[in-house]
Amino acid sequence: MSYIVPLLIVAVLVTGLFRRVNVYDSFVLGARKSVGLSVTVLPYLAAIFIMVNALHESGLDVYVTKLLAPPFQLLGIPSEVVRLVLLRPFSGSGSLAILADVYKQYGPDSYVGRCASVIMGSSETVFYVASVYFAGTKVRRTGWAIPIALFCNLLGAVAACLLCKVC
Amino acid sequence: MNIVWTCVTVIALCALTVVRPQGVLTVCLDSCAQAVTTAIGLCGIYCLWLGVFEVADRCKLVEGLANCMHGLNKLLYGRVSQAAERYISLNFASNLLGVGNAATPSAIAAIGETEHTDTLSRSGAMLFVVNATSIQLLPTTVMGLRSSAGSANPADILLPNLLSTALTSVVGVLLVFCAYGRAK
Repeated sequence: MSYIVPLLIVAVLVTGLFRRVNVYDSFVLGARKSVGLSVTVLPYLAAIFIMVNALHESGLDVYVTKLLAPPFQLLGIPSEVVRLVLLRPFSGSGSLAILADVYKQYGPDSYVGRCASVIMGSSETVFYVASVYFAGTKVRRTGWAIPIALFCNLLGAVAACLLCKVC
Repeated sequence: MNIVWTCVTVIALCALTVVRPQGVLTVCLDSCAQAVTTAIGLCGIYCLWLGVFEVADRCKLVEGLANCMHGLNKLLYGRVSQAAERYISLNFASNLLGVGNAATPSAIAAIGETEHTDTLSRSGAMLFVVNATSIQLLPTTVMGLRSSAGSANPADILLPNLLSTALTSVVGVLLVFCAYGRAK
């Protein structure tokens, strides 16, 4: 499985050679766009990180987790992973840290550890992705996109905890 | 986004001021520094993938991929420009292969093609939801973390992960259909 990506890159370059494309020039031309793209994204990242870090440093995230643990338990989500479910839409690195924490405390093969693994795999950093995707556009009103994505995250978490009991 | 960000940030900063006033500025500055490091990291990732995509595009490989996926794209996104359709196909392929890093630049390029007003279009919403709920065949990051945490069988989560991502994708796409109607 770890061969897929390297093979893909080599295959693209070799195809370029056979089809008489200026591979080197094309690569440089494409790669140049990355500079503008990352500069556009930067201020949006700063805004998201300020929000997430302020939430974390003030201890509000722990408070909110405690408050929301009972309703999440009704949905079948164990209280140990509620913090992961809540932080996941905001921060990828933050939720990875929580996942590592869960592994250390409960073990990666425990029910809670497996739940957390599947929750991590089947959800996305919705707010982070939204800010990066729409950074370069005029879009200010995102309509249903974010609510639908958040709902699917929650659904994924509920499904993950159920599926880990069965298989 | 405006309302959510402002409310949450104001509440969090107020709480932090009460708990630890000397920490407020440090947190804000650290966050901005973190944004710079992340953006530089992303720049490197985009560099590689945008370069490879450009080569693939010049070889007409992307065009072939877009032709293969034309039916599915039309059903999900409706009528979009040819360039957008190429980026959407690239994005889908990267997501399926679990190359999440490659999916971001192609999605940004596709969104740039489909969005011209300040309100997100149906195609843009669909692209966002497909990416936010993407079917994952191989959750590489999580499996890596599991094996380094000493898991007896890191791949043990493959099946529930596949089922759960498939479920969220289907529900997400259906919800976009409910909210925006069929593709035009």
